[in-house]
Amino acid sequence: MDDKRTQVRNIIKDTKSLPTLPGIITKLNELSANSKSTIQEMARLVSSDQVLSARILRLVNSPSYGFYRVSTISNAMILLGIDVVKSLCLSSSIFELMETTALGLWEHSLGAGVAANIISHKLKIPESEEISTAALLHDIGKVIIKIKFQEEHEQLLEIIRKREISSREAERELLGTDHAEVGGWLAKSWFLPDKLLEPIAFHHEVHKSETHQTKTAVVHLADVLIKASGFGFSGEEFVPRIQPAAWKKLNMNVQLLEEIVTELEEKLIEVKNFSLDIQASHVQ
Amino acid sequence: MQTIPIVTATADMVLAKDVKRSDNPDGPPLCGKGVVLTSSLINRLENMGIKTVTVEGHPVWIEGDVTIEQQLAALERRFKKVANLPLMQSLMEMYRLQILRSMGEADGR
Repeated sequence: MDDKRTQVRNIIKDTKSLPTLPGIITKLNELSANSKSTIQEMARLVSSDQVLSARILRLVNSPSYGFYRVSTISNAMILLGIDVVKSLCLSSSIFELMETTALGLWEHSLGAGVAANIISHKLKIPESEEISTAALLHDIGKVIIKIKFQEEHEQLLEIIRKREISSREAERELLGTDHAEVGGWLAKSWFLPDKLLEPIAFHHEVHKSETHQTKTAVVHLADVLIKASGFGFSGEEFVPRIQPAAWKKLNMNVQLLEEIVTELEEKLIEVKNFSLDIQASHVQ
Repeated sequence: MQTIPIVTATADMVLAKDVKRSDNPDGPPLCGKGVVLTSSLINRLENMGIKTVTVEGHPVWIEGDVTIEQQLAALERRFKKVANLPLMQSLMEMYRLQILRSMGEADGR
């Protein structure tokens, strides 16, 4: 079983086998490392790739961030921060794949982004844009498993359905690893900052998150709420429990939870419309 | 009450909640609860970038909408694994009320 885990890990390490990474990323990294470069320069660089810019603007205008009508990359960089835009550049190709191959998972991720945004605003947790981004990306490991291990992926779905176990349990059984760990490896190989990596890698094990436990706890709660609401399809049907570590870390109470649920349910109508719009644009 | 995409709103529907700008949710409402929609009002709201409105009852059936019984049964099934935990029971109850409200049933509170 460990062999399988190593095999999965090697596939992630070999970034060449992954969906194309935009070459712009390297240049963007150089620019952002240089303290003299300006947002305008970085924005100009990203804008030079029209497809990439369009993808990013679409994500930025998704209900996950709660901004509306962000029409330029430089605005996106100012509103969301360079780190977030950089992470969106990195993940946009995977997100694109998710949109076309795993619609349910895509909706689940968008919904989690929205939930995370609502939770962090409600609890006044800083860096809500980073948290929304982490929530958008939290199941990115599932996409990799789906594209790289198609045969196993079919088996996974079968096992999950038949034995009514969680996707993590099934993944561990079959691959020796799970989507959270795989997502963490991917985040690492992309040099995503820890504040995005930890929520991706530990959204099922909040207590293991060391430096960004609050962000991880928000993403975990967002994941549970979206599963509870039945919005989208994460690959499994059952709602996991809210982990006590997350509940404690966020200082939550039932009253707050109720306010969050109410706000989220209203917002999800918008997310559904957004998703339908995007699907319609694929058909055209 | 039901929250519906504004494109599906029609005249004579009654607003069940204030309509607010999504970019300024704490600002003054554009249109108050209880107002009866007209087609010109719907147009104006659309032009202001409003995407959804909450109206009384459950006037719009979208393809794929399921009955209240089906929704409640699905909810119970989703919570099957955690139904013994008090916090998760409360969460399920919150969603049960949400479903009842969204289907225009008596306000659960």
